[in-house]
Order: sequence, then structure tokens, then C-alpha cells
Amino acid sequence: MSIAVIRPLFRQPHRLGGGHRPAYLNSSMARSFYLNYAYSPRPIFNDACSLSSHHFKPAKALSLRTSSIDTAVVETSESSDFVFSETFQLKRPQKVEGKITIRLESGNSDDNWRLTVGCCLPGKWILHWGVNYIGDVGSEWDQPPPDMRPPGSIPIKDYAIETPLEKSLASSEGESIYEVNIDFNTNSSIAAINFVLKDEETGSWYQHRGRDFKVPLIDYLQDDGNIVGAKKGLGTWPGPLGQISNMLLKPEAANSKEDIGELSVQKRGLQGFYEEQAVVKEILVDNSVSVSVRHCLETAKNLLYIETDLPGDVIVHWGICKDDGKTWEIPSEPYPPETSMFKDKALRTLLQRKNGGHGSLGSFILDEGSVAFVFVLKLNENTWLNCHGNDFCIPLSSFSVPPIHSGQPHSEDEEQNNESGSLLISGNASEANQEVSAYTDEIIDEIRSLVTDISSEKNRRTKSKKAQESILQEIEKLAAEAYSIFRSSIPTFTETDLLEEEALEPPVKISSGTGSGFEILCQGFNWESHKSGKWYIDLREKASKLASLGFTVLWLPPPTDSVSSEGYMPRDLYNLNSRYGNMDELKILVKELHEVGIRVLGDVVLNHRCAQYKNQNGIWNIFGGRLNWDDRAVVADDPHFQGRGNKSSGDNFHAAPNIDHSQEFVRKDIKEWLHWLREEIGYDGWRLDFVRGFWGGYVKDYIEATEPYFAVGEYWDSLSYTYGEMDHNQDAHRQRIIDWINATNGTAGAFDVTTKGILHSALERCEYWRLSDEKGKPPGVVGWWPSRAVTFIENHDTGSTQGHWRFPGGKEIQGYAYILTHPGTPSVFYDHIFSEYQSEISTLISIRNRNKIQCRSTVQIMKAERDVYAAMTDEKVVMKIGPGHYEPSNGSRNWSLVAEGRDYKIWETS
Amino acid sequence: MPLQTDGVKLYVGLPLDAVSTCNTVNHARAISAGLKALKLLGIDGVELPVWWGIAEKDKSGKYDWTGYLVLAEMVQKLGLKLHVSLCFHASKDAKILLPDWVSRIGESQPDVYFTDRSGQRYKDCLSLAVDDLPVLDGKTPIEAYAEFCESFKASFSPFIGSTITGISIGLGPDGELRYPSHHYRSKNNSHRGAGEFQCYNKYMLENLKQHAETHGNPLWGLSGPHDAPGYSQSPMSSGFFLEHGGSWEMPYGDFFLSWYSSQLISHGDRILSVAASTFEDTEIIVSGKVPLMHSWYKTRSHPSELTAGFYNTANRDGYEAIAAIFSRNSCKIILPGMDLSEENEPNESRSSPELLLAQIASACGKHEVQISGENSLVSVSPRGYEQIKKNLVDQNVVDLFTYQRMGAYFFSPEHFPSYTKFVRSLNQANLHSDDLVTEEEGTAVSLPGTNLRMQAA
Repeated sequence: MSIAVIRPLFRQPHRLGGGHRPAYLNSSMARSFYLNYAYSPRPIFNDACSLSSHHFKPAKALSLRTSSIDTAVVETSESSDFVFSETFQLKRPQKVEGKITIRLESGNSDDNWRLTVGCCLPGKWILHWGVNYIGDVGSEWDQPPPDMRPPGSIPIKDYAIETPLEKSLASSEGESIYEVNIDFNTNSSIAAINFVLKDEETGSWYQHRGRDFKVPLIDYLQDDGNIVGAKKGLGTWPGPLGQISNMLLKPEAANSKEDIGELSVQKRGLQGFYEEQAVVKEILVDNSVSVSVRHCLETAKNLLYIETDLPGDVIVHWGICKDDGKTWEIPSEPYPPETSMFKDKALRTLLQRKNGGHGSLGSFILDEGSVAFVFVLKLNENTWLNCHGNDFCIPLSSFSVPPIHSGQPHSEDEEQNNESGSLLISGNASEANQEVSAYTDEIIDEIRSLVTDISSEKNRRTKSKKAQESILQEIEKLAAEAYSIFRSSIPTFTETDLLEEEALEPPVKISSGTGSGFEILCQGFNWESHKSGKWYIDLREKASKLASLGFTVLWLPPPTDSVSSEGYMPRDLYNLNSRYGNMDELKILVKELHEVGIRVLGDVVLNHRCAQYKNQNGIWNIFGGRLNWDDRAVVADDPHFQGRGNKSSGDNFHAAPNIDHSQEFVRKDIKEWLHWLREEIGYDGWRLDFVRGFWGGYVKDYIEATEPYFAVGEYWDSLSYTYGEMDHNQDAHRQRIIDWINATNGTAGAFDVTTKGILHSALERCEYWRLSDEKGKPPGVVGWWPSRAVTFIENHDTGSTQGHWRFPGGKEIQGYAYILTHPGTPSVFYDHIFSEYQSEISTLISIRNRNKIQCRSTVQIMKAERDVYAAMTDEKVVMKIGPGHYEPSNGSRNWSLVAEGRDYKIWETS
Repeated sequence: MPLQTDGVKLYVGLPLDAVSTCNTVNHARAISAGLKALKLLGIDGVELPVWWGIAEKDKSGKYDWTGYLVLAEMVQKLGLKLHVSLCFHASKDAKILLPDWVSRIGESQPDVYFTDRSGQRYKDCLSLAVDDLPVLDGKTPIEAYAEFCESFKASFSPFIGSTITGISIGLGPDGELRYPSHHYRSKNNSHRGAGEFQCYNKYMLENLKQHAETHGNPLWGLSGPHDAPGYSQSPMSSGFFLEHGGSWEMPYGDFFLSWYSSQLISHGDRILSVAASTFEDTEIIVSGKVPLMHSWYKTRSHPSELTAGFYNTANRDGYEAIAAIFSRNSCKIILPGMDLSEENEPNESRSSPELLLAQIASACGKHEVQISGENSLVSVSPRGYEQIKKNLVDQNVVDLFTYQRMGAYFFSPEHFPSYTKFVRSLNQANLHSDDLVTEEEGTAVSLPGTNLRMQAA
């Protein structure tokens, strides 16, 4: 059991479910989620009292005040008048811990079983669920049979059911349990029940390890690591963890898949189980702070009193204003006890805990000259409370000075109205992006105070560490941004004197699925490139040109000895003399590309390999060269090659023996070979050919072993057509690609074949409406998992001289205008770069770089109609393609046209 | 709250080409993001190179500070400090030239440049021999530098004393107080030569001749030392620098070296006093950069230092006089090479960066001159960071350290993490290791739930 395994996906706006089930999060959400919540889990308060809101009356406050601090007593005077008195509502984020329970038990007869899902946290819980039937192909959900649906269930499209959880009778005093029961019969053909839990109150989704919960009812189910209640007999792993790695160790998993096809399913002797998963929910708790001001005529001072019911230590971060309320100033002494100076800009006073423990209070003596008392409340490093996004601003003059900030409640009525929008900010590090604010100063201070905090107690130090970590995150983000822009401009420095010492491991790993996030790929060859016999030499002359165009990654053709001169029928993997040039020429090319700042992808063909010798039956399945495998390395299910390995874990490619990746020795040899390519040639990453042919989990293994800078797989299968016309909904197609990426655990991206296909139809037939899916997002992989989508419009197979699936002629720049302004990692085809399109492509790339559009950028579709599609990316760039009219409206932003051509236009904010 | 390193301020140099030759800010967004990252890291300020060839590019006396003002504002907004380097030299690396009008003059009068024995000109800055000659359309270079400083001061007055806390004034090649003795080095040179004397332009030779006549040895003033080795030769391969019985120890050698080094010292004095008087009514601290000519330091004759103009040998301290002119003008010395250590230098160059640094520091100590440090290598190795830390914390030599320099490499995943680590380790230098955040805790990788984030991203 582990708390961190399950996380709520906060305010996830879209539905999760069956075939439409996105196995990812919206990128920007994920980012803020990461910075705000996940990184520094806050202390969990279990203060029951804090759930109710207290309203303090000023009189009561005053009577309590005298017991607080000495200085206040001295200054108190009976003749004082209220100048101001107000109670502000606060919403404090708080984490509560609970658990999700899953129980499977047999009912009144052997065949009747019951699945019970429960949750002990308060909320409006909904079970969003579906089933798999025996014999289903793929991982999509189906709706359960009607008799299985509990009362109150609502069907969601054709693949899921939503059933509310009811307060259980078993709820005890103080603790409510919410439950739902699903009764089913084991004689039905249901293979598994899948679900996620949703809290309608907050819109949060709760998943299991980032995936659906899956309760298998029969044995064979392919284990993707999200199974709960796994039968102990299946393996020795502890609970639901660690199953992916287990999968890798169990090659016979591929065998078992065979059984599905033959429907010789063994009903598992179903065993009941009970499991608990810890869950953390963030809720907003109502609190309030009361402020009152009295003017003391005798001493000519103002006495300001703050009282709050916030639990724990509350620090008032304050100052005074003498003018327009914008400039904070430090008042003259005396200050209340527990006050410290913060960077000469503000004072910090720790409020005194009230007797009895609930809430804190403090009083402040202020000179007459000040116009206002300004403050925010600090609960911990990450949680600040303010007033509707502004500082609290308390007027001090005895005349009725109106509150300076508009967001401040004036009257009780208004307060009511404002309550829902009541204030909450948590330390959102991304704010530092806008300007270096008090928050930035704050965290800088934290870095420094870390040094002096050593003597203080341990938990304080832990807090500092966490704050420090989030600062480092922010620093890294900024540095990455700076890096990508600096790098994209033409290098003017030659870095010499590099010392050959081991580089330190960067704290943030560049993910092989995305590179830096700002990559722009170039496919550096076409179907004819082998013909010159010196392609590596030819490319060298183009290196600096490619760099200056803004490419950061170049994909080179397959380098090995090959039966076909294009390289896709590899034979001796360690022989790198090919029709593109010899190994030395390749090395020099890679070195020169590195010198101009371009990383290099090797095109590795792992699915199949051509044999050099025949076996005793005269079948070509014995390999030569350094990797002299025999027929045990060949999959067993292709009769042409009589392999003795296991059955294939994917589709077969029939022109050559398919490699059996389930064999330990094969994987070891392949890893070694990839290592050798990395070191000997200097490849930075991989383009993986025909990954449909074997399980993505093996790719994950290869990638983790070789730690490439970037990796992308070719998962190319056909889109859905009905009567020769492409379906609008290509979700099943993109789901298959997503499933593969998922199987690699996100360590590799994949070519976004879906987007290419949809662009074909949209552009060719003037059906630009296709470019928005049913949810108003891009319809390709890029709409679901942008950071892993490598978008492209053409490659050596689809175009070039093969033309298997050529992009609509004359509309290529529209295609590039789309992929180069959208999230995902765009890849540009060699033939297009060195063509009349070069200057337009160059312009598009520089727009992308200039606006820092990256694989995780957010895109908003503005228009998707018959003859025009328009979208805005990161609120910085607007593009339109198609013959129809579109102009961005110059509202708050000023858009200026920066590029236009045949049926496309691009605008930037100026 | 002060840093734990007893007030050593940390600066980072901005890219050499932060302002383009057409006076716009290059990669402004990158710099902006970079500055924020540095601010969060706790860096105190940045160093900005301001080029003669950009701000006074077209015409003598016509200044354009636009790009630099934009940068100063960016820096100010982030609450960072700014140290401005006024550069009167050109930079091949950054492709920044001398002002066009100066280069035109140089074409017609090549003797305004430093010249070596074979007649090669060093065209990246003006020779110190023309400091007071009206070679620039009737103006002397010193006057041109002074007017440049005045114009800078007037244009940046809103920043001076608040954001801009220091300037350094260009003193020669790469801004350093030295002769360009190493400017020509054959490519396949396996060991470092000691450089050549640069006393062969018309004005230097005239001056030498005059000096020799005054000295009563007119024959000594006809040329430079005849037995000095060339750029690519080992210094010990010919007579001048020989460990024993070399000309440098003879009366002629002393005559020549005294003159050669005194020219450099008076040049430094002239320029420092120009800068000091320009900025004396402000809170700005003026600095000048002195090179660390550390190769061959462990020989008796110190050939690299001699050709660069520092008469520092086994028999004589050459840096006291240098420290004295900085002291006289109340200027700080900037010393590069804080990252260098003997063990990383090739043995055959008989180098010792540490010993030289210690010698200069001690001369500065005597004259109460403060030192700012810089690194020399673009890529500082872990060992280099150790060395810097040693100089900053243990030796307590410097009160300000400028890390060179921001750019793509600086922020790259190969480099930035180690720099971050360095800065953090400085701040935590006095902590016991138990108190530090360990690497494992510092990275999120080991936390469960990471998978989700990876997918989600």
C-alpha cells in the first residue's frame, strides 16, 4: 500500500472511459499539478474544528486582546473608536487522507459474486466503469450487461457506466463510508471489470498507478501492471506493484496470449480479495480572519487587531502604506513579539496561539501617519492566503477611507456574493514567470535561510528542503527555457578546452520520450539516398544549413549491412558499411552534426533480421556476423522461417525472420549492440522501425538500457474507414498508438500517423472540420498525449519515390503550418527541406522557436469548419489553414500577421 | 541575509553578444529566462560586456546605448546587480570588431596596432604606444576612452549606484592589462610557447630608441631582443629565457624588460585614472583585469609573464608595481583563472596557476587592493569548481566572483546542474554534510507516483 500510487487528477475536465480513455493528462494541468501539489505534500491537518467557520465579533476580539501581549495593554485606551472592523472569509487548501477499498467476494451461490468499491472520504463519489468480455481484442471498455448495472447507473456513450456511491450502512460515527456493489455471475462472459473513481465535487479522478483499476475475472488477462487483487498464485510479487518488470521476466506471457484466440479460456477459480488503496484528497476548508482597528486618541496611534481560526502557525507578512497602497513600507518600532524583518520589505509576525488551541491572534500598534495596513497570511512555504488575489488592505485613517483594492468585501451582502470566489492562492511557482514577485524573494530567502536554519528543529528543516526543491524545479524550468532558445540561435562560440571529466548527472533527466521538449526533427534521407553511395558525405555539407534552419535532431537512415540497399532488411548488425557510406564516414558525419548542435537518431530495425545461412531444411534462419544467432532467435509463428522461439508479441513482417524479443539472450545482444552504436558512432537516440512487430515493453527495456536523448517509434497501421470514407472519429487508431507508447512507459514517442491521415482528408477534400475531435481537441495522437506525438506529414515510405501514402500535393505547407505551430514534436521530411518550400519551412520553424512552442504547448481550436481551421497555441501564436476566412480578434491581445502563403496565415502577439 | 561565504558576491557574465552589432538585444527571451533562473538561484548580479565597436560603431563621438539600456532595465527589474565591462577591444569569438571608424584608421595607419617581430599586427585593440597620440582623427585614444566613459555615465545615470555597482575598464587585449604576446599560436602546437614581445610598431620602436639613448646604450634601442624564441618554440630553445645564463638576467635583459613592463604599467595607470576620475563622484567601483600568465611560472625566467609585460622573475616581484597603480586609482583587480590548478595543466608547461594567484593576491594585500575572481575555462570541471571554492571560501582571496559565461552551454543539461550544485554548495559550505539535502532526496525520481507524471507530461 502506498499513498503516492494513487493520485487525484485535479479538476480534469474531460471524461475518462473506454475507447475514449485518454491515458494521459492535459499538459498544462500536469505541470501545475506537479509544481503545486505533487512535489511537496503538505502536512495533513486533522483538526475537526477547522471544518467549521467561525465569525469573530470585534467586541469579543477586543476583550481577548488584553490577555495577549504586554505592549498592547499599555496602548489600550477606553476612548478608542473603531475605525474598521471586518471579517474576511478564507478558503484554506487542506489534504485529507483516506482509502479506497476494493472487495471481491462470493455471494449467495458459487456463481454469484459481488465487487464492492468504497471510499471513506466525504465527497460525491461516482464509479466510472466498464468491462472487458472474453475474446475482446485490445484494451477498450464495453458496457456491462444491463443486469449487472446497479440502480442509479447511467450509461456513458457505448462503453461505460457511471454509478454513484451510496453512503454505506456501515458508516460509523464521524466516518462515512461510500460504497457501490456490483453483482455479477461468473457464467457471463466477462473477463474483467475496469473502473476509475471520480469525485463530482472537485472533478478529480482517482486512478490506479495512472491507469484504470482492473479486476480480472479470468486468468489469461495480459497484465499491464494495473491489476488489483492479483491472485497470489500467479506470481510472487507483493501486491499490485512491480508487475511490468515481472512481465519482462516472463516470456511465456506471449504464449498465453495464444489461448485467447482459441477461446480455451480457463475460468479462474475466482478468489475473493480485499484491498485498500490510500488516497489523498485536497479540499478547501472555510476559515476566516477578522481585523479590527481602533484609534487611540491619547497615544495618537492606531491599534490593529487580527484574529483567525486558521489552525497551526500563522504568520502575518505585513507592512504599511503611506501613499497609494502599492508600496509597502516598514513602520517604525515597536513591533509585536515574534516579529522579524523580511528583506527590508516587510515584517513577519507569528500570531499567538489562542488559549484552547484553536486559532491565533495578534495586535499591532501603528503610527497615525499610515494610510493603510497591508498584509497576507502565510501558513507554510507553499500556502499563502490573500484577499481575492490582492493583499489585504486595511484602511487606518479615522476618516472613512474606502478600501483600496476593489476585490475587498465592503458589506455583509457583498461578502456573501464573493464567498464562492473567496481567496486562495497556494505558492504557485509559475508565478515567478510573470515577474519576480514577493514570492520569488520569498523562495530566495528560503534558499538562504536554509543555511541558517540548521539549528532549528528537524521538521522546519524538512520544510525548507521541500521549498528548496520546488525552487530548484523552477530554476530548472527557466534554465531549460533559456537553453532551448540560446541553442536555437546560431552558435557563435566554439567551446574549446573541454576537460574530459565525468559530467555530473543532471538532476532533471531529459526524457527519452521528449528530448528537451523543444526538439524539431529532420528526417535526413529519402528512398533514393542510398543511390549516391556517399550519402554521409553529402549530408555533411548540409549540417550547418540544417542547424541554422533550427533543427535539433536529425534522423539518419538505417546504418547496417542490409539485403536491400535502403537498409530496412538488416543482416550483419555490426557491419556498418552500407550504401549510405562506410562506418568512418558515418562517424565523421555524426561528429560534425554534434559540432553544429544537432543530435542524431539511428534508425534501428529490431523487428526482423535477414539470415546469412540456411538450416538443415534449407530455410534461411541462421544468422551471421558477430551476432550469430540461430533459429531460436526467430519467432515461432511464421511458417516461412521455421523459428524455434516463442510466438511473436506483435504483428509479423513477412519478408524476413522476425526476431523473438522474449528471449533473454536476444535482448541482451540487442542492448549490447545499441550500446555499441551509442558509443562507437555517437548516436544520441533511436528511430525504431516497425514497432508494431513486438511488444512495447521490450522497447522500454532497450531504451532504459541505452538511455537515449530521444526515441521515436514507427507504429503505423491503417485508420478507420467506412465505405471508403475516412471516419471522423479516429480514436481507436490513436488509442493503439497511445497503447504502444504506454507499453514503453512513455520512454519513446511515436509518429502521429493519425494526424497525418486526418490532415490528408481535411486538406484534400476541404473538410477542415475533421481537425477537431468531438471534444474540441486535435484529433490525432497530439490531442491526447502531445508530448509523445512526433508529428509529420511525409516520410521515405509515404512519399519520396515510393509514395505509398502521399500527402496531398501542393498542400504540404499547410501541413507544416499545422504541425509546426501545434504541440507535439514536429518532424520535417528531407525532400521538403531541400525544395522550393525551404524558406516557408524556415519561417515556420523560426516562429515556433521564437514563441517557444514545444511538445507540451497548449492549443485551443478557434474554428474548425468546412473550409477553414484556426487554432491558438500558448496564447502566443494563431494559425489558420484552408481557403476560408479567419482573423484573430484583437481584443486584449494585439495580433500581427507574421507569415502567410497559399491557404495559410500565422499571427503572433505583438 | 548574507551568504554564508562571508559576503562573496556571485555574478554571472552575460553572453558576449548579448547586444548585437545593430544594437538590439540578442536572444532577449533566453536572457530573461536565464536571469530569472539566476535570481532564484541566489546570484547577486550579472556582468555585461559593453563594446566600443557597438556603442560607438559608426562615427567618433556618436554613441548608441539602446541595446545596453534595455538590458540594464531587464536586470534592474529582476533586482539583480550589474557590473559593466567597458570593452575597448574586439572579440573574434563573438565576432565583435573595433568601431568601423577605428578600423578604417587602422587600415591606413597599421602602426596603431601592436606588432610582433615578424611584422604581424594584432588588430583587436590599439597599441598602448598610441595612448596619447592624436591618431583618431585628431583625438588620442585616451581621450576617446574618456569620452566613451562620460557618455556611458550620462546615459546610464538612472542605474548608476543602484543597479550598476561596478564597471571594469578595458586595458588591452581581451580587456586585460597585457601585451597580446600570445595572439599568434600555430595550430598543432603541442606545448605552449611563451609568446613573443610586441614592441615592433613604429611608435614602440621610437620610444625604445629614445629610452636607450637616455640610458646611455643607444645600440640597445635598435630592436627588441634578438634571441627570444618564436610563438611555437619552447621558451628554453633559445638564449633569452634560459634558466641559467639567459639574456633576461643580463644588464641588457634588465634594461629591455624594465622598459617593456613600464610601458604597460603607465598605460594601465593612464586608463585607470581616466575611469577613476570619470566615476569618482558615483558609488561605482572601478576595476581592471589582470591576466594570469601562469605557464612557465615555475621556471626562473617566467617567460610567459615577461612577454606579456610583467617583469616578474625569480629575482624580482613584478606585481607590486601593478598593484600600486590599482591602489593609487582606488581600483579593484579582476583576476581570472580561479578554476585553474596546477594538476590540470600539462607538466611540460611548468605552470602553476595557484602560486601565481597567491603572489598577485599578496601584492594586492600589501597595497590594499581588492580582488574579484573569474573562471578561465568555458567548461569548469568538478575539479575546477573545487578550486574556485577553495579560492572563495578557504583562501578568502576575493569578495566577488563572476562566472563566465551565460549561453547555450551554460544552461545545457550537461553543465547547468553542476553550476547549480556549485552555487548551492557555496551557500552551504559551512554545513555539516549530514545537514545537506542528499541527491536522492533532491530528485523526484525515486518517489512513487513519478510514473504518472511522466505519462501526464
